[in-house]
Amino acid sequence: MMEIGLNHYLVLSTILFAIGLIGVMRRKNLLLLFFATEILLNSVNIAFAAISHYYGDLTGQMFAFFVIAIAASEVAVGLGLLIVWHKRHSNINLDTLSTMKG
Amino acid sequence: MEKYLYIALFAPLVGSMFAALFGARPKTLIAGLVPSILLFVSLVASSILLVHILGGGEVVHVEMMTWMATGDLYIPFGFVVDQVSVTMMMVVTLVSTVVHFYAIGYMDHDKGFNRFFAWLSAFVFSMMILVMSDNFAGLFIGWEGVGLCSWGLIGFWYHKESATWAANEAFIMNRIADLGMLIGIFLVYWNTGTLQYAEAFAAMPALDSETLTWIGIFLFVGAMGKSAQFPLHTWLADAMEGPTPVSALIHAATMVTAGVYLVVRSNELYALIPHIGLFIASLGAFVAIFAASMALVNRDIKRVIAYSTLSQLGYMFAAAGLGAYWVALFHLMAHAFFKALLFLGAGNVMHAMHDELDPFKMGGLGKTMKGTMILMTLASVALAGIFPLAGFFSKDLILEVAFIDHHFIIYGVLLLTAGLTAFYSFRIIALIFHGEDRHTALGHHPHEAYTFMLWVMAPLAVLAVIAGALKGTYFEMVTAVLPATEYHVHSAAAYWTMTIGTQLFVLVAIYLAYKKYMSKDIKIPDGTSAMENSFGYKILKNQYYIPYFYEEYLVRPYRELSTILWKQVDMKVVDATVDGIAGIIHTTGVKTRDMQSGNLSTMLKWMVAGTIGMLSLAVVFGLAVRYSGEIKTILSGLGV
Amino acid sequence: MIDHILSILIFFPAVAAVFGFMIQKDSIRAYGTAVAVIEFALSLWLWFAFDSNAAGMQFMEHIALVPAFGINYILGVDGISLFIIILAAFFTMIGIASLTDTKNVKNMIITLLFLQMTMVGVFAALDAIVFYIFWELSLVPMLYIIGAWGGPLRIYASVKFFLYTFAGSLVMLVGILFMAYFYFQATGVWSFAILDWYRLILPETFQLWLFVAFFFGFAIKVPMFPFHTWLPYAHGQAPTIGSVILAAILLKMGTYAFIRFSLPLFPDASVFFMFPIAIIAIIMIIYTAMVAYAQEDVKQVVAYSSVSHMGVIILGTFALNVEGITGSIFLMIAHGVVSGALFLLVGVIYDRRHTKMMNQFGGLASVMPRYATIFGIMLMASVGMPLTINFVGEFLSLLGFYQQSHILTLLAGIAIIVGAIYMLAAYKKMFFGEVTIEENRNLPDVNKRELIALIPLTIITIWLGVYPKPVLEPINNSVESIVQLMHDKSQTEEAKSRIPNLAGKIVISKASQEEAH
Repeated sequence: MMEIGLNHYLVLSTILFAIGLIGVMRRKNLLLLFFATEILLNSVNIAFAAISHYYGDLTGQMFAFFVIAIAASEVAVGLGLLIVWHKRHSNINLDTLSTMKG
Repeated sequence: MEKYLYIALFAPLVGSMFAALFGARPKTLIAGLVPSILLFVSLVASSILLVHILGGGEVVHVEMMTWMATGDLYIPFGFVVDQVSVTMMMVVTLVSTVVHFYAIGYMDHDKGFNRFFAWLSAFVFSMMILVMSDNFAGLFIGWEGVGLCSWGLIGFWYHKESATWAANEAFIMNRIADLGMLIGIFLVYWNTGTLQYAEAFAAMPALDSETLTWIGIFLFVGAMGKSAQFPLHTWLADAMEGPTPVSALIHAATMVTAGVYLVVRSNELYALIPHIGLFIASLGAFVAIFAASMALVNRDIKRVIAYSTLSQLGYMFAAAGLGAYWVALFHLMAHAFFKALLFLGAGNVMHAMHDELDPFKMGGLGKTMKGTMILMTLASVALAGIFPLAGFFSKDLILEVAFIDHHFIIYGVLLLTAGLTAFYSFRIIALIFHGEDRHTALGHHPHEAYTFMLWVMAPLAVLAVIAGALKGTYFEMVTAVLPATEYHVHSAAAYWTMTIGTQLFVLVAIYLAYKKYMSKDIKIPDGTSAMENSFGYKILKNQYYIPYFYEEYLVRPYRELSTILWKQVDMKVVDATVDGIAGIIHTTGVKTRDMQSGNLSTMLKWMVAGTIGMLSLAVVFGLAVRYSGEIKTILSGLGV
Repeated sequence: MIDHILSILIFFPAVAAVFGFMIQKDSIRAYGTAVAVIEFALSLWLWFAFDSNAAGMQFMEHIALVPAFGINYILGVDGISLFIIILAAFFTMIGIASLTDTKNVKNMIITLLFLQMTMVGVFAALDAIVFYIFWELSLVPMLYIIGAWGGPLRIYASVKFFLYTFAGSLVMLVGILFMAYFYFQATGVWSFAILDWYRLILPETFQLWLFVAFFFGFAIKVPMFPFHTWLPYAHGQAPTIGSVILAAILLKMGTYAFIRFSLPLFPDASVFFMFPIAIIAIIMIIYTAMVAYAQEDVKQVVAYSSVSHMGVIILGTFALNVEGITGSIFLMIAHGVVSGALFLLVGVIYDRRHTKMMNQFGGLASVMPRYATIFGIMLMASVGMPLTINFVGEFLSLLGFYQQSHILTLLAGIAIIVGAIYMLAAYKKMFFGEVTIEENRNLPDVNKRELIALIPLTIITIWLGVYPKPVLEPINNSVESIVQLMHDKSQTEEAKSRIPNLAGKIVISKASQEEAH
């Protein structure tokens, strides 16, 4: 049986990160943008946890906790704003969110 | 003695400024009288100086004040009255005084009476500076000053387009020559260290021939402009647009002779470069016959007299070029008298005929204008060089000079010109004063000029007659500073043959002119006769098409080139480049503005792209640092 | 108080300008004129107290600003800058006195006073950073003047003027910083003082690069071909007073800076670049004269004529001998007087007819004879008639450069021909001929207010043309010391041969070594 080593976790993390990145770049729906952001954050979490286990250093896992907490609060605020925006404009397509045009 | 120098020099300036006070006001007699009287004062002062110099007195030399002093350069306002300058001073003040008083009558009905005298006296002041200066810079001040006053006086009737055009032409043509003179002055300064005549000429024998040649050439270029030598001659005929007193003073007696004065003053230089002298003489002879040929067919009496001046200037340069400086100066003096007289007489005729200039439209004026006729005939006889009037002694002397120095071509040309001169001078005398009356039919009722004007012209007539007798005294005086070559033809037989031969030649020319132009068949030419359409006539009438050439091939291209330089080069190339650079920066800004689209998605894309870019750079640099040793080996292997 | 005269000359107008905000609109003209007259009187006092026989800096002041980097507030004046300072004060005075009806005249006068501060500052500064500050500051009031009171294209013209000059100055700033760095490397001490830099001898390659850096800053200001295209727009759109000050003083900053910086600091480079710059100067002279001839707007004729004259000034500067440099400085003053007067004269007719197109005039000499006379005198001065101020400067500049090259001087001398061509053509179009346009028939002649400015200028034109000695002498002494400095500092063979050695003829005054306090 193949040994599941650190590299496997890192590859998984990279793939998830790439998926999240592409989602961030391509998604036009604000809600789905949040999904993609979550994927990004979670991929980083996996990496942290894996590396921390590999080195036997708990710092990584602590950091992962922080990331989860931050992600949760960010989503809370973001979803709140999203709901307010939707009430105003009935539309959460990113292309219409361009009032700060430079 | 110094005070006479200052009086002679500054009296015209005071007169000019006095008249200028009356500026644009209507004619005030005193604005003309005072400058004329002041000019007479200047004449008296010059005469006193003349007597002083004649009596063997010391040359008067003053330095009034410093003008420019910087580095090693020191240029003062300095004036010298020596034999040469006192001769010029006499000529200038005498003719100027006559012209001033004459102009009081001539400009009687002119609105710009006061302004005229301001300009005229200013001109005399400039001319006095020119002839009295003791250094090249002072000469240049007077040089440009007479150019300026000439501009103001030629264009005096400034509402006339032709007059202002002629004024600009004169100024610009003179300026072209002045550039040459300026370069000559620079050469003198950098090679001799000074611009004072005495020191500069003393230092010149030590210079090498090439430098001296260049100095001589450049100074002569300056003289060419002022004295209207070919090819800078077209302005002189056009300058006849100015009032006749102006033509008499400036374009007969004074300004145009400034070039001759320069060559005479610089005789020590030109004596060292005889090949340039020969060139000057040849050009002079050429101009003499060139101008005389154009005078043969011209139908404007003032232009004929102008060409006559040009022709005689050629004689003067021929003499000066051959080293006969005192002869040239003598002819300058004699010529000033009878030419000014001729112009003033022409002025009388013009006034009587309401500014008509075509002699064919006159005829028979001798009956009503006896005084003018006598004066003009006297002047023409002097001009033709008939013994015993002044012209004989001065002009024939030049012929002798050419003959003695074995320059037979120059001699031949000048001799032929003498005949032509007699012919065209008496052509207009005959056409104007003799023959059938052609003018009454055209509605003219001429009357003689004011008597006082005739009296004022009288001194010139007297001098035109007796000036020859002054030759001896003059020679004694002026050879103190000029080379005292006496010109004697070797054999008496040759001398008498020459002299009598020349006289006969001239008399025949006069007779032919009278015969042709006094006949009853003279009609006003209207462009249909065979002669008018002949090739020779056309060439001469159009002044060898030189003015046309200048206009078509110099003036117009310059104007067009200027417009091209402005519209195509300055605006479309130089400025466009600047605006182009600004445009590029602006466009870059506009394009990169799309980055700030306000669209979150786009911005996220940019963020990702940027992050990836920077990360890649960091990786590449890190790798390069890690493997720098191997990279160096590879590069050296490639020969970098 | 005389010891601080330079600081007073610089800051008095600025302080007065600040107080000017509190002055009533109706009295602002009187206030402005009074301030300008006092400033002019102060500048005359400076001249009176100036020692014409000393060659070095006088009235020096020194206050430390940033000692760690050697940036100090150093002022000083010598024969070269003295007269331009007086000219600046003079023009501000007659400019304010003869201001026509302007809207927001209070703003205009306050701006002019600020501008005066910067102008005097540039010419008195002896520290490179202080010089740079005043150099750049002078752009702001001029930007405002052109932009607020100018013609239809005023925004374009003022922005172009500002950005173009500013870009060049930035290159110059880089040069200044490098120069300070080289000084630090050579002596171990930071200093931006120009007099300290004079003592530094740089290797030739450094000189070449620094010369080019400074060249950009100065060349755009002069303006030299091909960096001159901002000038016609700036002049064309600026109000009369803006054009007068721009032509009379601001353009001189560039040529002054060449003499103050480029020549003594980089003598070998100056010799190296002498011929290319002379070629540019000749192009400036002839090309702009031809362009001036093609113009239809009389103000543009005068604007291009300015560039043409600056060409002669540059030529005189790069003659690198005493006659040439003295001539070029004198010509700077002469050109300031004559061009200023010409722009004022154009302003006179513009105030009456609100057009500057020459085909709208014609025959004015019979309608406005006094105006025609003054214009004629200035025309002849511009053309370089002897006994006017321009001739002395032009003669000396060309005489000086003749020593370096005969042919180029001959080409440059064409200036007197082409100058006459366009000036006479313009004068003829405006003043001669018949009056064909009805509005021209009853134009009033020059009035007292305009004469207040024009008469003194005419008098100066002729007085200094006849008797230039009081001005030439101090200039000559200072220039001799600069030329000697250049000769001593130059390293290459060619430089030593082209720059004359005056040793034994002059004594360099020790005044430059002293400091005021």
